Amino acid sequence: MHVLEVNHLMKSFGTVQAVQGVSFQVKQGEVFTIIGPNGAGKTTTLEMIEGLVPPDQGEIKFGELNWKKNGDAIKKKIGVQPQLSAMFDLLTPSEHLQLFASFYDKNRPEEEILKTVNLTEHKDKQVRNLSGGQRQRLAIGLAMIGDPEIIFLDEPTTGLDPQARRNLWDIILRLKNLDKTIILTTHYMDEAEQLSDRVCIIDQGEIVTIDQPDSLIKRLTVEREVRLSFLEHEEAAINSEKILNKLTVVSRIDRDSTELKIWTEDPEYTLLELFNYTKQQNYQVDQISIREMSLEDVFIEFTGKEWRD
Amino acid sequence: MNQFKQMFLMHLKMTFREKQAWFWGLFFPVILMVIFMLIFADSDDEFEASVAVVEENPNEVSTAISDQIEVIPVLNVDHQLESQSEAEQLIKDQDVTAAIVLPQSEEDSDVLFLVNAEDEQSTTTQVVSGVLSNIVQQMNLQVVGASETYAVDFQTVTTGEHELSYQDFLLTGLIALAVAQGGLFGMIDLVDMRRKGLIKRLRMTPVNMSLFGLSDMMMRLLFSVIQIFVLALIGVFLFNATLHINILGLVVLFIVGALSFNAIGYFISSFSKTTEAYMGVANIFSFLMMFLSGIFFPIEMMPEWLHPVAHVLPLTYFAEGLRDTMVYSIGIESSAVWFHIGVMALWGIVAYIIGSWLYRRNSIVATR
Repeated sequence: MHVLEVNHLMKSFGTVQAVQGVSFQVKQGEVFTIIGPNGAGKTTTLEMIEGLVPPDQGEIKFGELNWKKNGDAIKKKIGVQPQLSAMFDLLTPSEHLQLFASFYDKNRPEEEILKTVNLTEHKDKQVRNLSGGQRQRLAIGLAMIGDPEIIFLDEPTTGLDPQARRNLWDIILRLKNLDKTIILTTHYMDEAEQLSDRVCIIDQGEIVTIDQPDSLIKRLTVEREVRLSFLEHEEAAINSEKILNKLTVVSRIDRDSTELKIWTEDPEYTLLELFNYTKQQNYQVDQISIREMSLEDVFIEFTGKEWRD
Repeated sequence: MNQFKQMFLMHLKMTFREKQAWFWGLFFPVILMVIFMLIFADSDDEFEASVAVVEENPNEVSTAISDQIEVIPVLNVDHQLESQSEAEQLIKDQDVTAAIVLPQSEEDSDVLFLVNAEDEQSTTTQVVSGVLSNIVQQMNLQVVGASETYAVDFQTVTTGEHELSYQDFLLTGLIALAVAQGGLFGMIDLVDMRRKGLIKRLRMTPVNMSLFGLSDMMMRLLFSVIQIFVLALIGVFLFNATLHINILGLVVLFIVGALSFNAIGYFISSFSKTTEAYMGVANIFSFLMMFLSGIFFPIEMMPEWLHPVAHVLPLTYFAEGLRDTMVYSIGIESSAVWFHIGVMALWGIVAYIIGSWLYRRNSIVATR
């Protein structure tokens, strides 16, 4: 059953066509992720669905409810974490939760939310004294306090350090276990891959594709860029290059002195073969990295265009 | 109900945690009051001048005049001297304001009045010489055995049954100013909340925004009540202000006044995009009112051409109304009080309507 249905949404600001005919459906209990570069229309789309911006054209349905007739009923069913989470600087997380709880008919318990977003220790600190990550987690807590059926998270991990990002992923997965429907936007492909049931790629106000993350990745060129450098002389790099060139999965190698850049369809197999050789030759590998597949790669693959950030 | 309680608590906590609110709402008006009281509150005490009386050669006439001078409360006879030169020295040293040299003999009827040349035009000199002329005149009349045909009868006239001292005037004026500024500057929160996106954030929830506004108002009223109490207590106990309060009149006037100034603040917030812009406009308005609404000195002291301005500003009516209800004990049965309330209410309603219209036109807070 679809808890949210969006049909042919259109929105323009002056001469700028921000959203041009976006349509999708979201199922109960699904994590639905919208990705796209800045200015692609992600936030505008979300704000229309959240009832903040009226669409020029198109239709938004929460089951049988729509904004024109059932505004209040919808607001009781949804929880929103906006991109910039505005808060009362002089109030504590605990006070925020109590205040927001009073807006809704039903609530989740304050302690449970504080625990979920790891703020129990900081519940009595004024918000102006919280770190960026703590504020972001409180914003997510506030989106959950009314026990909503659908939760909107707009770039919840942007600007967070890796540890804080992992914590947020845990929170999102916990929400999913509670059978909540989550609509997420993000800049990070790994995040979309980890969390989403389906991913919607949006660019210049239009949907490029909607699919499960696995299928999207399968549809991507599987080639990855591996970089490594040797501790000793150039000879190690030159000899390794020769060995790697014999592998069919490797499509291209760039060498700069002791440094190698390898494009391969199977990084694991390529590295295994390479390490067998270097161990046998007693070459010492200094640094090694596999570049994360980013939204940029997906984007370029699906649109054939440069990334605009 | 819980929603209102939570919102009220929120506003309460934020106000109490905001040091600025304490400073501008309480500390600043208290300081203003103390300074003005210390400078001006004595000025309506009895006028006094210290004089020296020179009686070189006591005789009947000189004793009679000297007795007259002693009973006049305005003149403090600090020195009884026997030579004019001593008196001249005291005047040069400015130990006394003036010296009165009494007649040398019964035949010599001249009374000499000595003052420092620097003070020749001063009010004190004028008053003392006036008093002295009066005494001499009286003596002259006595000598010829005539009685006064014309007399000046002096009486003070006040609006109510109690007299308005400068303490009372300043105290009520400052209370009016503090409450007015609370409203004028208070709406900066709204601009700040809008700028930070808090209004937008709240609108993503099923919150009742009118309850939100109402709880904010209630909090402001409470804060103003605290202002009134603190200022009134300081005024009464430290500066001997005398208040005769008509409770019902005061409550009605206070509520209408506080709401009206809040409405004016709301109006300013409707076209101020930043907190700086808001403060600028609120400051101009506040300064205009502070000096043109009869807070520190009566409107009558201002040049004639400024009077129409004073009679337009809402603070004039708030201050006047507070004087009526807090000093003269005039209640809502008085048409003057209703007139004050009416002018303020008109300001409030017009400001609120234009403010709401601007909000809606700029769709800053669209209603859905």
